[in-house]
Amino acid sequence: MFGMRITRRGLWIACLIVPPVLVLALFTVYPIVTALGYAFFDWNGAAQGDFVFLQNFRDVLFREPFATWTRNAFLHNIVVFAVLMVVQNGIGFLIAYALWRNLPGARFHRVAVFLPVVLSTIIVGFVWKLFFNPLFGLVNQTLRAIGLDMLAQPWLGQSSTALGALILVNAWHWIGFPSLIYLAGMQRIPGEIMDAARMDRDSELSILRRIVWPLIAPSATIVFILTFIGSFNWFELPYIMAGVDGSPYGSTDVLGLYFYRTAFGNQSAGTQDFGHGSALAVITFLFIAVVAGFWTVHLRKREIEL
Amino acid sequence: MATLSLDKVSKRFGETEVLHGIDLEIADQEFVVFVGPSGCGKSTLLRLIAGLEPISGGTLRVNDADMTRVPPARRDIAMVFQSYALYPHMDVYENMAFGVRILGLTKDEIDGRVHEAARMLQLEPLLKRKPRELSGGQRQRVAIGRAITRKPKVFLLDEPLSNLDAALRSQVRLEIARLHREIGGTMIYVTHDQIEAMTLADKIVVMNEGRIEQVGSPRELYETPANAFVGTFIGSPKMTLVTARREGRRFSLSDGGAIEADAPADAKGDVMLGMRPDALTLTRDRTAEGFEAETVYTEYLGNEAYAYVRLADGTMAAVAVPPNEDYGPDEPVRVQARSGMLHFFDPESGRRLRHGSLADERGDFNRVEQARR
Repeated sequence: MFGMRITRRGLWIACLIVPPVLVLALFTVYPIVTALGYAFFDWNGAAQGDFVFLQNFRDVLFREPFATWTRNAFLHNIVVFAVLMVVQNGIGFLIAYALWRNLPGARFHRVAVFLPVVLSTIIVGFVWKLFFNPLFGLVNQTLRAIGLDMLAQPWLGQSSTALGALILVNAWHWIGFPSLIYLAGMQRIPGEIMDAARMDRDSELSILRRIVWPLIAPSATIVFILTFIGSFNWFELPYIMAGVDGSPYGSTDVLGLYFYRTAFGNQSAGTQDFGHGSALAVITFLFIAVVAGFWTVHLRKREIEL
Repeated sequence: MATLSLDKVSKRFGETEVLHGIDLEIADQEFVVFVGPSGCGKSTLLRLIAGLEPISGGTLRVNDADMTRVPPARRDIAMVFQSYALYPHMDVYENMAFGVRILGLTKDEIDGRVHEAARMLQLEPLLKRKPRELSGGQRQRVAIGRAITRKPKVFLLDEPLSNLDAALRSQVRLEIARLHREIGGTMIYVTHDQIEAMTLADKIVVMNEGRIEQVGSPRELYETPANAFVGTFIGSPKMTLVTARREGRRFSLSDGGAIEADAPADAKGDVMLGMRPDALTLTRDRTAEGFEAETVYTEYLGNEAYAYVRLADGTMAAVAVPPNEDYGPDEPVRVQARSGMLHFFDPESGRRLRHGSLADERGDFNRVEQARR
């Protein structure tokens, strides 16, 4: 048949497409589908039990103690997201604007701001754990050195400050990313449009709000969506700095840790619960996919071709 | 109502000075065109007047008020950009209203101004469109409308026609001339197109390498260019420059023949002759007096034609020939000059030689013009 003839070109295309599709299928599609499958079964350790359909989902959402843990972790994810949107993306935007306007030292800072992004989360986590050490950590020593002894806290050791400290470390680590994306967006704005804006308005804030911000909408879409996904998938940094229990007392617990603990067990209670863990993973995945999807469509509407 | 006055205005980018002490007076309601080759500083000068670039030295005054350090939005100056620079996320109405909002008018006054400008430019049906939904010509009109709604003292236009196709260009050119008549205002227009300059300007400022070469009406620049640069820059095809040796009324090229012409008394020894195409004639008579030359090619334009010939010293000269005369390539010819239509420049400095002879050069030119008719 004509349509099925194998051509050299066709072979080439197949050679290029098949490996990535296989990798994707093996490491992304297969785990998602199996997790979905696992979530419908009762599990006894690593042994698959009865088919229970939606019972695991009902448990993690509505049955105690799961329901409280889920709510607690989910609320923390919301806090992480909200604070990162303001602190990480807000400061990132200001940094990008400063770099774009070529404030003194822009060349140096362009590199400096992005440097932490290339560091591994493991390194960042351990280094900041040292910085936050209540006795010899850099943070408290600095506070004491400048006479602010009363502000020196056991940052990671008390419920009121632990999550905040973790979020700030994350913001420090990733601030270069929104900066870079925003800066790229700003650099795409034609110079004459900025000139026209300067002829029309003399308030920098007005130009920023009415001209620059709407014109970098595509950058904002990327930054917002990735921040959202990152906030609800947050795992490595709290795992390294606060441990799998989200200590102290679950004050840094997030969906990622909670899922990991449930599915694979923790040091104190060595039980593995694939059923409830998979249900959590599926719910988290669906929540992220649906919200990110709708939000992307919504944000795209603001975007303007330059 | 605005006069502009530039006093020793200079601009440096780092170590490089790109504008060297520009002095210029612009009268109220005047249409001034800056022309010059690319890199001559004409756009930079416009940006200094707009306030988009800081002035490195000297003073800029608008109506005697010092504007040298005033931010662009507070100078009461509007600008039309080469790329139009419309705000892509705003509709036509918002594009035109955005700059007006800074003036502290009421909503109704702003609305009135936008509609007035839209009516003047036939933009009313397009007010709700976004810039990307407009054609090039429509965008251009929005850019002009945006400037008009401000009712500024001074309009700046930076090569506003260069992104339009040829047919639209001459149409918008007429439009701009009409707008200037209707709304008045002082206009400064930057272009490298001398047809735009000649047709629009009350006053042309010819610039070269960061300096003003000459300021004058289109007629003054064409008829009495201050130097060889202005002579060659204004007029198309270009004025031909040759350096000839003067003996009385005879100007000869070394082993290349000679022409006869009346010349100012200070043209002594070696003189640079500026010959426009219509100041020259061709003859095939090889015994005739004139510069020896060889034809290279002919440009036939219907109502006129230009023969390009190579003189003995290698210079290419454009000569206006009757369109019904046909010259092939490589024909030996003689180039003759119409008396009184040549320009004489100092071969060293390129400056116009004008002293000691024709008391009134204009009068002389007009006499020749009449004689030709």
